[in-house]
Amino acid sequence: MLTAAVGAVVVYPMAGCGLFGDEDEKAQPPAPDPLAPLLAEALSLAGQHEAAMAAFPVLAERLTPVAETHREHVAALTKVIKAPEPSASASPGTTASSAPPAGDAKATLAALRAAEQKGQKTAAQACQAAPPERAALLGSIAAARATHLEVVR
Amino acid sequence: MSPEALATALDAEHAAIYAYGPIGVRLDTASAADARQAEAAHRSRRDALVIRLTALGSTPPPAAPSYALPYPLTDRTAALRLATEIEERTAAVWRAALPETADADRATSLAALTDCAVRATRWRRRAGVSPATVPFPGRAT
Repeated sequence: MLTAAVGAVVVYPMAGCGLFGDEDEKAQPPAPDPLAPLLAEALSLAGQHEAAMAAFPVLAERLTPVAETHREHVAALTKVIKAPEPSASASPGTTASSAPPAGDAKATLAALRAAEQKGQKTAAQACQAAPPERAALLGSIAAARATHLEVVR
Repeated sequence: MSPEALATALDAEHAAIYAYGPIGVRLDTASAADARQAEAAHRSRRDALVIRLTALGSTPPPAAPSYALPYPLTDRTAALRLATEIEERTAAVWRAALPETADADRATSLAALTDCAVRATRWRRRAGVSPATVPFPGRAT
């Protein structure tokens, strides 16, 4: 009886340790940063412009600075979020958008304009909701996307 | 809410309104029309700031009688360059207001930053400057 009781006592904490240890890690993933969607959108915008240039080299001169701006936004947001630098292949946004654009150059530009417009709105909302230390960066991102409508045409 | 940030923005708007006078006379017809629109936009921002600062119990800084231009506006090129710089500077001041503001004041500051950035891009295009956009409008580079 005594031996059995000791055995039970020894087994319990070991099982408990494994059980709760696993549960803790699964139950508490790091909360996603509120800027994660904006980062994904910046990656997607960069990918869309790069895909458009690949399909229509005539657009390269116009779109290169715009694509580079989105890449710079990705870098800045990554730094602020303290996320690991996203790799192009790991991002669903980039993968989805690196498909060649449908239609001609004109239709592609129209799609890019729509994406920039949507992106401006997302960034403006993020700026409005942001704590002070993030507001200026997000404001610049929103403004940059607005200026893209002047050149993506 | 910081009245100082908005007062700084008002100072910049006063200077922008002044600058568009001499800028306008050096421009071609199409660009001059843009300059008049830009000046009107800055006047609207100025008027809104005066009202807002007064509501906050702060004394809105008045415009200076005149402002020193950074270089002589001898031709269209110089005028387009100054117009771009005026918008860049005003954008920077509004950007700096973002962390200091919330709610409607932040929305106003963001709208103003965005408008300045768009006008700066238009002036660069008119001047043939490439690229016409910058990655972080209003941020010191």
